[in-house]
Amino acid sequence: MLKHWYQAKKPQKIGKYNNAHYDTSNREKYDAIVVGAGPAGASAAYFMAKQGLNVLLLERGPFPGAKVCGGTSLISEHTHKLFPNFWDECPCERIVTQQAYWFMTEDSLLSTSFQSTKLAAAPYNHITVKRKLFYQWLVDKGMAVGVDIHFNHHVTEVLFENNQAVGVQVSSPQKCQFFANIIILADGANAMVGQRSGLVPRVSPQDLALYVKETIALPAKVIEERFNLLPGYGSLIGVLGYPTAGFNGTSSIHTFKDCINLNVGMAISDFAISGIRPYDLLDRIKKHPLIKPLLLGGTVLEYGAAVIPEGGYHAVPELVHPGLMILGDAGSLVNGTHGINLAMWSGFFAAQAANESKKSRDFSIEKLSLYRTLLDESFIMQDLKANAKIASLQRDLPYLFDLYSKIVNQTAFHVAKVYTMPKKAKRIFIFKKITSIQPLLKMASDIWKVLKVVKG
Amino acid sequence: MNKELQERLSLLQYQPDEKWQHVTILDQTICRDCKNKQCLTFCPSGVFRENSQEKQPLLILYKQCVECGGCRLICDNIDFSYPKGGYGVTFLEG
Repeated sequence: MLKHWYQAKKPQKIGKYNNAHYDTSNREKYDAIVVGAGPAGASAAYFMAKQGLNVLLLERGPFPGAKVCGGTSLISEHTHKLFPNFWDECPCERIVTQQAYWFMTEDSLLSTSFQSTKLAAAPYNHITVKRKLFYQWLVDKGMAVGVDIHFNHHVTEVLFENNQAVGVQVSSPQKCQFFANIIILADGANAMVGQRSGLVPRVSPQDLALYVKETIALPAKVIEERFNLLPGYGSLIGVLGYPTAGFNGTSSIHTFKDCINLNVGMAISDFAISGIRPYDLLDRIKKHPLIKPLLLGGTVLEYGAAVIPEGGYHAVPELVHPGLMILGDAGSLVNGTHGINLAMWSGFFAAQAANESKKSRDFSIEKLSLYRTLLDESFIMQDLKANAKIASLQRDLPYLFDLYSKIVNQTAFHVAKVYTMPKKAKRIFIFKKITSIQPLLKMASDIWKVLKVVKG
Repeated sequence: MNKELQERLSLLQYQPDEKWQHVTILDQTICRDCKNKQCLTFCPSGVFRENSQEKQPLLILYKQCVECGGCRLICDNIDFSYPKGGYGVTFLEG
């Protein structure tokens, strides 16, 4: 514990302030360079270029979204505020009208599900999207307002001059440097550029979750029948308990137009300790008697793995440095299942700060701190703060998801089952059953701990 | 290698870098004495494989890496960086 805390707090000063003097006179100098064309980077680039900044966007993949995977949905109102009526132009998969949580054990499934046609009217609530198409749309928007973009450009570190970030180093084959007044790091959950430049501490394996996914193709009609959906609408299902084999983790099912995305994951440290192979969890879920019929006849299109920051508020590193800002996943700006909207908003806020900096020709940490102020005043930091204790709760109660999934399923089973014994005897029997799984006092203390976290 | 994993990896598109390995072991002697070898089960694409050779107890099948970057956090002896621009895996389905 302490070791992880210490590591998380201590930046590794490998290359930090590796000061040098760069001759930039004969090179094109941008107002801003953005590293990473994900939702955070592409939004930052778009909003900066829209305000007249000269922006270069660097992406290590051959196209936007090439290096990341996992089923995802946009939170409609948040996206709508940044990109009004985005659903008219953006390639959406399905409008979510059913949101559910499934608590599972090896043979049972207790579902809490909400379905409403109210969710089918603009501005909607969740909309599922495919990362590749959505990221491409964001990048296209940026290009339309003049963002320069280079694909296949892998940035390895930040270049400093007198402790001020002045540019980035691109690895071979290009092996070149780009210079700008403002550097924006939006290079994803691993935050490798920031780490190598000594700006971000090494992430703790407890604060980063590994997710594996499978995209399973099924005809649109079959998906709609199996999930009880109207044509074009979708469901979003969080699955707890059984999928992560006793650990605190989550699984999810996203419905796309003609495929389903099945995700499952938990903290990297849990995978490492348990010796569970990540893809074995996928196989395990797919073989579950209540999940199997949903996927019957589907063909697996793609397998993948990615990491997601789950450390919450306390894992957020220093986000503003002289001439540099850190966005999205790279700054650990992920709140439970919300990531993309935080990423896009952090891009928007960074663009405001960049614009103010450019106006005053002041690229100091004080000026760029407007970014941090805007984050603090927005839902991003406030919600992260409100959920700040969730990460430590999951460490305190490592059995939380698994045990309580079992308890609620047991209870539901006995309530549903009709016994020949009298009702009163049945109630006592159920009570005894539950308290035999977890003693009453222990349960009360767990519930109290959870309530305390929820209360904030 | 595990058949299920083999099938899964065969669905992915790779542009392998023949000249440069992006996942490396810093010191193979540490691996020789390592009892846990968490990398063997942890890696979602089976990059790390046991080898019977004394000098090189671990094989690094870096060409099948899906670039999640998790391995560098479970073991200090693993040096992971992303592949060079244009190389590595590409995801198409979101």
